[in-house]
Amino acid sequence: MDKGARPNWDNPMQFVLACVSYAVGLGNVWRFPYLCQLHGGGGFLIPYLIMLFLEGVPLFYLELAIGQKMSLGSIGAWTAISPYLGGVGLASVVTSLYLCLYYNIINAWSFWYLFHSFQSVLPWADCPINSNRTGPIEECERATPTQYFFYRETLDISSSIEVNGGIHTGQALCLVLAWLITYLFIVRGVKSTGKVVYFTATFPYVVLFIYLIRGMTLHGAINGVKYMFTPKMEQLANPTTWINAATQIFFSLGLGFGSLIAFASYNQYNNNFERQAIIVSLINSGTSIFASIVTFAIYGFKATVNYENCLERTRLLLLNAFSLAEDSITMDTVFDWIEKLNTTYPQQFAEIADKLENCDLESELDTAVEGTGLAFIVYSEAIMNMPLSQLWSVLYFIMLLLLGMGSMLGNVTAIVTPLRDFKITSRMSNELLNGLVCLFCLLLGLGFTTPSGNYWFTMFNDYGATFSLLFIVLIEVITVSYIYGIKRFEKDIEDMLGHRPNWYWKIMWSVTSPVLLIALFIFYIINYIKGGTPTYQAWNKELVKYPYKLQHSSGCFCLLSHHQ
Amino acid sequence: MLEKILILLCLSSALAEQPCKPDASDGYKVRLSIKTALGDEAYVWNENEMFLFRATLAFAMRSHLNGQEFDVSNIIVCDETPRVTFWFVVTSPLNTSGLVDKGVVEEAIRMSRNRINSAFLLTDKTLEFIGITPTLTAPVNPDTPPWLIVFGVVMGAVGAGIIVVLVSPLVLKKRKKNEETDEDEEETGVKAVENGSTREGVYNMSFSDDERLTQM
Repeated sequence: MDKGARPNWDNPMQFVLACVSYAVGLGNVWRFPYLCQLHGGGGFLIPYLIMLFLEGVPLFYLELAIGQKMSLGSIGAWTAISPYLGGVGLASVVTSLYLCLYYNIINAWSFWYLFHSFQSVLPWADCPINSNRTGPIEECERATPTQYFFYRETLDISSSIEVNGGIHTGQALCLVLAWLITYLFIVRGVKSTGKVVYFTATFPYVVLFIYLIRGMTLHGAINGVKYMFTPKMEQLANPTTWINAATQIFFSLGLGFGSLIAFASYNQYNNNFERQAIIVSLINSGTSIFASIVTFAIYGFKATVNYENCLERTRLLLLNAFSLAEDSITMDTVFDWIEKLNTTYPQQFAEIADKLENCDLESELDTAVEGTGLAFIVYSEAIMNMPLSQLWSVLYFIMLLLLGMGSMLGNVTAIVTPLRDFKITSRMSNELLNGLVCLFCLLLGLGFTTPSGNYWFTMFNDYGATFSLLFIVLIEVITVSYIYGIKRFEKDIEDMLGHRPNWYWKIMWSVTSPVLLIALFIFYIINYIKGGTPTYQAWNKELVKYPYKLQHSSGCFCLLSHHQ
Repeated sequence: MLEKILILLCLSSALAEQPCKPDASDGYKVRLSIKTALGDEAYVWNENEMFLFRATLAFAMRSHLNGQEFDVSNIIVCDETPRVTFWFVVTSPLNTSGLVDKGVVEEAIRMSRNRINSAFLLTDKTLEFIGITPTLTAPVNPDTPPWLIVFGVVMGAVGAGIIVVLVSPLVLKKRKKNEETDEDEEETGVKAVENGSTREGVYNMSFSDDERLTQM
C-alpha cells in the first residue's frame, strides 16, 4: 500500500451520497418551511428556484471542480491556484471549526430527546408536580410543558448570558456521545465515511416519507398544507423575499466551508462531477420542499389541536359560569352561545370576560417558528398529541440525528483534509489526527452545556459563519473567474471531463454570481450597521417568555472568523 | 298568645331553611360533569342519584368521625342546576340545628375521595368539590432514570465499535506478519525439496562409463 497515494471513494455513488448527506441538513427542515410561511407560501418557490439556478448550482460546481482538480484540501487547493490566496482556505477551515464547535450541541439535544422518548408518558407532555403535591410547577404552568422541558430540563437556561453555572451533566454526556459517534464515522477518512453515508443520506428520506403519510392523515393537517400552498404573490415585490431566497440557497448547499472541496479532492480525476453537482443541488432543494410539506401538515395538526382545546376550555367556562346543562353547548356552537349569553346576561358575562380566550385558527397557524424552537418545541408538541407518540418521537429524533450527523461529517472532513496536506501532520496516523480534532472540539463544546450555553449557541449560529462565508465564496468566485482566469479553468475542466463547460456556467461564474454575492454582502453589512448593538432574547423565569432584549457586543466575533 | 306562637313558628321554619344556601359558610359546592366523563354511557342525574350522593357523603362523615352516626338526613342539599351543580351542608347528628365545621367536612371528603368518586364512576376532575383541591399522586421516581439506560446501551455499542475499528488493523497487521514469516519458511523448505529432487534425478545411462560395446 503506497502511503503517498490519496485515498479515494470506493465508487462515485459514495461521493454523491456524501454530498447529499452534507448538504441536506437541519436547515432544510427548520429554516426553509419558516421562510416559505413568511414569504407567502407557494409563491416563495419562484425566487427560490431562480436563485438555485443563478447562484446555487454554479457555485456548487465551482467548488467541486476545484477540489477534484487540485486533489487537496481547501488550504492546499487555494494556495495552488495562487500563493496569496492560502488565506481563503484558512478562513474556510476556521469557519468550519466554529461550526463544529457548536453544531454538535444540536445533535446532543437530539440524543437527549431521543433517550427521553423511551418512557410510557413523554416527559414533555405533562408538567411535573411541585414538591407540595398541590399542583404543577409554576414555571411550567405559565409556559407550556414542551417549553418547560426544553428550557428548564434540557438546557437549564439562565436569565442572561452573563449568569453562568456548572455543566449540565446529561447534556455533557450526550455531547460526548455525539462526538464519539462522529469520530467513529470519520476515523478512517473516506474509507469509513464512504460506508456511513449510505445510511445517513438515505434513512432520513424513509422517515420523512413515513411522516408524510402520518402527517397527511392527521386531523387538521389539511389546514396547514392549504395555508402553505395558497401563494401570496404580493410578497414577490418585497426585496427581503429575494434576499432570503438567495441566502437560503447559499447556506443550504454548504458553500464556503471547504467541505465540498475536501470531498471532491478524494475523487478520481475524471469523475463526472458536472452531472453530480446538478443532481445534488436538485436533491437538496427537493428535500427542502418535501420537508416543508411535512412540516406544514404537522403545523396544521398542532394548530387545529390547540384551537379545539381553546374552544373546549371556553365551552367549559361558559357551562360553569352560567350553570347550563352539559350537552347544551357543543364545540361548534360555542361562538353562537357567546353572543347569546352576552346579550341576555351582560353583567354576568362581563365578570368572566377577562377569562375568555380568543380562539382563532388563523392566528394559531400564523405562529411561524424556525430553528431549534421549531424542531424541539413545536414538533414535540405535535408529536405528543399523536397516538403511539413514543414511536413517532423516536423516529423523528433519529431523523434529526442523521441529518445533523451527516452535516457534521462534511464539517469535520473540511477541517481534517487540509490539515493532512501539511507535512507535519501527514506523518500522524489517520486515527490519531481525527481523534485530536474531535477531542479539541468536544472540550471547547462543553461550554455550550452550561446554563448560559444557549445564548452562546445563538450567537455562534447567527454571527459565527454568515458574513465570513459570503466573503469567502465571493473571493473564491472572483479569483477563479478573473485571477486564475476563466480560460484556464475551462481547460482544466475539459481535462477532467472531456468537454468544456457551456456558456451558461461561464456567465454565471463571471457575472451573475459575483453580482448576487456582492448584493447580499452589502445588504448584510447595512443590516448589521442599522441594527446597532446586537440584542438577544433571554428567558425570564417569572415571565416565562422572551421579553428581554439584552445588549451584547459580538462585533469582535465576526472579525475573528474572517481574520486571515 | 297566638301571635307569639305564630312568630315562633315563623322563626323556626326560617331557621330550618337557613342551613343550606349558596355561599353558605360551612357548605361546599359540588360540580359533576357526567357526560364529559362517560360520554354515551352517561347516566341521567335524578333523585336516586342524589340520594346516593347524600348516602356516600354520610358514609364519608361516619368513616372520619368514628362513633357519630351520620344519616342521609344529615346531608342537606340545595340550589341544584341543570349543569348538575349543587350546594350541600352537613348537620351534626348530635345537634340537628348545628352544622359540622367546614374543615372537618373537608378532611372527611379528602379521606374518602376515592370511594366517593368510584360510587359515581367519576374522577377527581369530573366530580369537583369547589374549594377542596385533590391531592395529586406522587411522581414515580425510578432509581435509574430510564434515559440513562438507553444512553448506556448506545454508548456501549459506540464504544465497542470504536475499539473494533481501532484494533482491527493492528490485528490484521499481526496476522499478516505471522503469515509472511510462515511463507518464508515454506519457501525455503520448498526450495530445499526441489534441490533434493534434482539430486534424486534419473541416472542417464547413455553417458555411463560402463558401456562394453564402445571399446575397440
